[in-house]
Formats: sequence, structure tokens, C-alpha cells
Amino acid sequence: MIVIVGVGALGSHLVQFIRNEKVDIKVIDFDRVEQKNVMSQFHGKPGVGKNKVAALQQTMDFLFKRQLAVVSNKLVAENIDALMKGATLVVDCLDNGASRKLVQDYVRKHGLPCLHGALAPGGEFGRSIWDAQFVIDSEVGAGAATCEDGEFLPFIALTAAYMARSIQLFLKDGKKIGFSISPVGAVAI
Amino acid sequence: MNDIKDTEARVNVTFSGANGDLPDPVMFQATDGDIRAWVTEAVRTGGVPGIPAAPNADFSDFVIDRFTATEARPWNLLAVRPKTPFGFATCDHCTECFLKRVGRSCCGCGSKR
Repeated sequence: MIVIVGVGALGSHLVQFIRNEKVDIKVIDFDRVEQKNVMSQFHGKPGVGKNKVAALQQTMDFLFKRQLAVVSNKLVAENIDALMKGATLVVDCLDNGASRKLVQDYVRKHGLPCLHGALAPGGEFGRSIWDAQFVIDSEVGAGAATCEDGEFLPFIALTAAYMARSIQLFLKDGKKIGFSISPVGAVAI
Repeated sequence: MNDIKDTEARVNVTFSGANGDLPDPVMFQATDGDIRAWVTEAVRTGGVPGIPAAPNADFSDFVIDRFTATEARPWNLLAVRPKTPFGFATCDHCTECFLKRVGRSCCGCGSKR
């Protein structure tokens, strides 16, 4: 079972890109869909106000008849054992360093494969990177605002697509291939 | 760039939405400071194919990832990239939002958290 933590910008697109994989998918996110999310995430207007995992579950069922297991709790140290139960691959699409650290510590402790997705402000760089190579960037640099409109939707979806490709390759033969992604191309890492 | 020794690495640079490699490999064990200096010079002078010359380019806040050769990429790689702090910076739902540091909100909601 693939456990995707965070179904916002990256995670929501990722789910629909891996929908054809013959593996169960669980999504974890406590946040709700806001109007602004519709501009850049794979959440539609009918989902506004709903929990993101519930909205995504309905969308995936409606469009593709693809079922998801959903958890609308916030992932914390106290529940991570229960929420990760059955995971054979963990995918981190989180939006904060503390939760990323929680996931990283967990997968390393339990020897679970983990793919991380990350974006730079300004839509200039993205990463699909396996845990062994992943370092959480703790500081941020100056840059342009990123969520005022849907300007970066294509790049968000592009990064999610590369994450889906990393997952596809892993599920096929166990290869852990990541990508550094810029708007003009990607480099395998 | 076809003959990269085991002790060398290709340097890939992502800057301002553009991406390119330094024309020549560098020592894989070069320090972050050296790599930043080389990349800064190259980008400022237009020496990185694919990245337009940027006379004021500053890489002091960039990250240098070091990737050893793999089957898929049979050469060492030094990736010079902007930080990818979290997901995508947002406003009141992201306590570490970079916008907090520059002091403005990102979606018009007025929050500067």
C-alpha cells in the first residue's frame, strides 16, 4: 500500500497520476479545501469546504472509479504507527518541515522506502527524491509569492508527474530514481 | 562532458527557472564554497548553456546536493539548486512561510503568519 501524506499541491496531483498502479492508495491530510486551492491543486469547486482527503476520494471515484483509503487526521508522533500501518511505500507531499522530519524519522526507523516531493517558491524548481538523498531544507530564501493565482499549476503538475514516474519505476522493479525538475527539464538523480 | 572521471562530477545549475550544466566537470570533493564561487562566476558571465547571463546572480542561499553515480546516471552529480523549503508557500496555513520573512501575505487574505 502506498501511503501519501499531504494531498495539497503535489499530493493531489500525484494521486491522479498514479491511479493506474495496481496497488492500494491511502491518503492522509487534515486540511480542508479552500477556494484558492482550486487554482493550483487537483481539487475542484465542489470540494471547497470539505476535507481534502474526502474531496479527493469523491473526485477519484467520480472520474475514475478509483478507490482511496482516507485519513483526515493530522499526522503526529502519537498516531503515526497506526496511520502508517500496512505501508510498503510512503510518499511525503507535506508542506512543513516538522511533519517531514516526523515522516523521515519514521521511515528510517522502520526501513520503509520513502519518496519526498518538494517545490521551491516561485515555481522554479522541484524535487522528486528518495529518502536516502533527502535533506530537509530548513530555511527559505526570498522569492515571489506562489499562491496568488494558478500561475504555477503546470509546474506543480509537472513535478507531481515526475514523482509518479519515480513511483512507477519503483513499483516495476524496485529502482529508486529521483528527479531534479526545473521548468525547462529534469535531471535523473 | 562525456568523459567524467570517478573523482569528478557534472555540475547542474538551476537558477531563476532555467537549468544548465557547467561546461566542464569539477572535482566531486570540491567544497560548497568553491562550487558556489564557480557557479556564480559562470552564471554572471553567461557561461552556463541554458541559463541567460545574470550579472547579479547570487547563490549564497542555494543548496548543493551531491549525488554519486548510479546505473541510471553513470556520473557523479553536483546539483546547485534553490531551497525547496516545504510544499508551496502559503499564507495562514504555513507557519514557516517565506512570506512571513518578507513581510507580506500571499493570497490577499491579509495574514502574515
